[in-house]
Amino acid sequence: MPIKEVQTTCAYCGAGCQILFKADPENNKILEAVPAKGRTNDGTLCLKGHYGWDYINDPQILTKRLKKPLIRRGGKGAPLEEATWDEAISYTAGRLSEIKKKYGPDSIMCTGSARGPGNEANYVMQKFARAAIGTNNVDHCARI
Amino acid sequence: MNGFVQGDPLLCIGCRTCTIACVVAHEGKRIYEIDPDGYDFHPRLKVIKTWAVSVPVQCKHCENPACKAVCRSEAIRIEDGRVLIDRQKCIGCKSCTEACPFGAVHMVPLGFELNPDGSRRSVAHKCDLCNGLEDGPACLRVCPTEALRLVERDDLEAILDNKRKNVLVAASSPELRNRPTVC
Amino acid sequence: MSNGVHEIEDAKLLFVFGYNGADSHPIVARRIVRAKRKGAQIICIDPRRIETARIADLHLQLRNGSNLALVNSIAQVIIEEGLCDDKFIAEHSHGFDEFKELCKKYTPEAVTDITQIHPDDIRKAARMYATSGQSMILYGMGVCQFAQAVNVVKGLANLAIMTGNFGRWGVGIGPVRGQNNVQGACDMGALPNSYPGYQNVTVPEIQAKFEKAWGVPLSNKAGIPLTQVPHYVLHEPEEKKIRAYYVFGEDPAQSDPDLAEVRESLEKIELVILQDIYMNKTGQYADVVLPSTGWNEHEGVYSCCDRGFQRIRKVIDPPADADVLYDWDIISRISTSMGYPMKYSNTEEIWNEVIDLCPSFVGATYEKLEKYGNIQWPCRSKDMSDTGTSFLHKDGKFANPDGKAKFSSIDWQPPTELENDEFPLIFSTNREVGHYSVRTMSGNCRLLRNLEDEPGWIQMNPELCEELRVKHGELVKVISKRGHCITRCLPTDRVKKQAVYMTYQWWIGACNELTNAALDPISNTPEYKYCACRVEKIKDQIWAEKYLREEYAKIRQDMGIATKKKGGKAA
Repeated sequence: MPIKEVQTTCAYCGAGCQILFKADPENNKILEAVPAKGRTNDGTLCLKGHYGWDYINDPQILTKRLKKPLIRRGGKGAPLEEATWDEAISYTAGRLSEIKKKYGPDSIMCTGSARGPGNEANYVMQKFARAAIGTNNVDHCARI
Repeated sequence: MNGFVQGDPLLCIGCRTCTIACVVAHEGKRIYEIDPDGYDFHPRLKVIKTWAVSVPVQCKHCENPACKAVCRSEAIRIEDGRVLIDRQKCIGCKSCTEACPFGAVHMVPLGFELNPDGSRRSVAHKCDLCNGLEDGPACLRVCPTEALRLVERDDLEAILDNKRKNVLVAASSPELRNRPTVC
Repeated sequence: MSNGVHEIEDAKLLFVFGYNGADSHPIVARRIVRAKRKGAQIICIDPRRIETARIADLHLQLRNGSNLALVNSIAQVIIEEGLCDDKFIAEHSHGFDEFKELCKKYTPEAVTDITQIHPDDIRKAARMYATSGQSMILYGMGVCQFAQAVNVVKGLANLAIMTGNFGRWGVGIGPVRGQNNVQGACDMGALPNSYPGYQNVTVPEIQAKFEKAWGVPLSNKAGIPLTQVPHYVLHEPEEKKIRAYYVFGEDPAQSDPDLAEVRESLEKIELVILQDIYMNKTGQYADVVLPSTGWNEHEGVYSCCDRGFQRIRKVIDPPADADVLYDWDIISRISTSMGYPMKYSNTEEIWNEVIDLCPSFVGATYEKLEKYGNIQWPCRSKDMSDTGTSFLHKDGKFANPDGKAKFSSIDWQPPTELENDEFPLIFSTNREVGHYSVRTMSGNCRLLRNLEDEPGWIQMNPELCEELRVKHGELVKVISKRGHCITRCLPTDRVKKQAVYMTYQWWIGACNELTNAALDPISNTPEYKYCACRVEKIKDQIWAEKYLREEYAKIRQDMGIATKKKGGKAA
């Protein structure tokens, strides 16, 4: 079995440890996490670095991986229903535009994410809030 | 001499990476592939935290093991410098858990092995120094602060020599104390 | 952090304040252990006997909520005993005279009732810190999660300025940031008052720069902090209310204080958008859910706690049956659909736009991140020879217009909600080493779940346990003015009798039902580390265990997990 090795940065805590993942590309599966030599971690990992990656395979323990866009078509209290991306995007954009028009841009609050998405996604989110919506109402879970 | 894993409370930060490593080493990496309830999570060491100390407690692989002496079913043996329990022979009488002065032997319910009558098996369980497993002991390999080490005959002698030296140096007069020691 | 993580082990003295690295960042705690091994002295200031306290030369087990009284008192001793770095103060700071005046009343004797620390120990700590020659401060949430937080940070900075412990290797002041990319979210301007690169939204020249880059007029009014959303939904007049909430990669219905209030506000917001990889509590209120790729499924850059940019890389594809998109792609599509087109083909393209707008990041190209692995900003030149900055404030130059550090003269103030007859104990949150944040990641990992699971623990002093007649492992009820939850009793003499501690990872043992949403006026951080509570024994443990199992099953059902067999486990 050919094994693919990819080095990345751990997504738990601010220590910024370097992890070498070994993966089986044929079956699209991560096999193991091995400590890599990084400036901050110096070839070591804690328990989350070693054993904190298998959530990505959706083992159905605490919560379910989201795999399809969902819309509460029946409004508050109704169930979430699967939708296509086109529908989800135009629904979201439509409702946001409506609220912006009715109450102004400062009636909308956006968040960044201090977790998995990364810097580029945060940049795009704050640009969206500031340039597309027109508000500085963007913040993230920095304080928890 | 039997080897054993020794923890240094001045280095241990109580993170329990060792605890999980123990299970992964013994259950295998299949864990990541199977049903999350499809394996037993029974670490063979336990991190104990008191006011003064944090450190994993595990079997010392005694030279004259009390657990072995009290075992009525001959389930405990010494082999290749380690004290081992034969799960198949264990009758679950708990005598070894009482006899062990360190609390290093405990009882675990087996999720996937049954008695002949279909009832659930509980057996004595402890560190086996990753017997037969690659790159063991796993606990010390993953420890991020290098708080664990495998002590074998030569190491023990070196540790003792150091201790002997330190005691003598401490007892010497100041002018002698500051001279470099020569082994 | 003003200094790099790798510098910690070279300090001669570590002053660790309200920071429990062993549980929050084991790999940073490793550096503390190594520093000790290399001969550093350690002062640990924490109300609990944490791991660092065990190896410390001096542990000041202060009373919860007395931080600034202690910090000012340490400064008082440094001044009183002539241990200041007068040259550094004269050349690189201002405001010292006023600060000196303030400190006069903070003698160790004067604060001993507030801090519960013996005056001799305060003096000892002050002498050790001021005279080591290379002292580094590390602090964590034990400083930040109070209504008086930023001012304590300023107080700690006072100590570093007055002793010249800034701008060199192995000194400085280090807020060890908690989440993996909290530094990055701040760096990227996911903040109500700044554009990427800490460029203030109220400064006209900066506004003009971003207006030119983005081609639209921008608002110069600072936005609303996240922690004030419930207030803006529930208590502000109609024209100021928040109507739509785009929640991205977080779960306020689990992580924010006073959850009852958070739930009420989520119910009232007209439009809740959730963009995440897992269903979570906030998702229960979402009108639309946008599924994205997770860590290891996308490329990008994270910023670690010491300003270090590092690449994250795609290891695998999302599962074949997952119709998910990159986070930036989802947002770009919505933006385009709203009439502001955004189109990027990869993260490097976005990153290049970021760094060109941020003078402090301009040199941190993907090329250099590939080559060097890690670049700490500031990195101001694209030239390959600029590899970033390990420590800030070199040669005593600070980021103020005059280049000088400013002393802050601020009085200690007590926490917001104090103990009383009904709620006689101090309640504080802390961290579970094997779990992370709201647990949608670590709670879905097999082995981390095996190590610790619902409903978590409450750390209680054994004497308190005895008084309440509760034992190790027993389920207990914890109650504050705002709510209650159930958790397991963990007797430990590492905590004092006056305070109890719970981690916020648990959904049944959800301690944010209890916490107080009092905020620091500058950082808007909630007072997670102090409110009043009581612990009650549950007489019917059989009922409690059953309740726990049923609640857990219900949560899993709500979170979309099909009821399933117990994995072939023997009955």
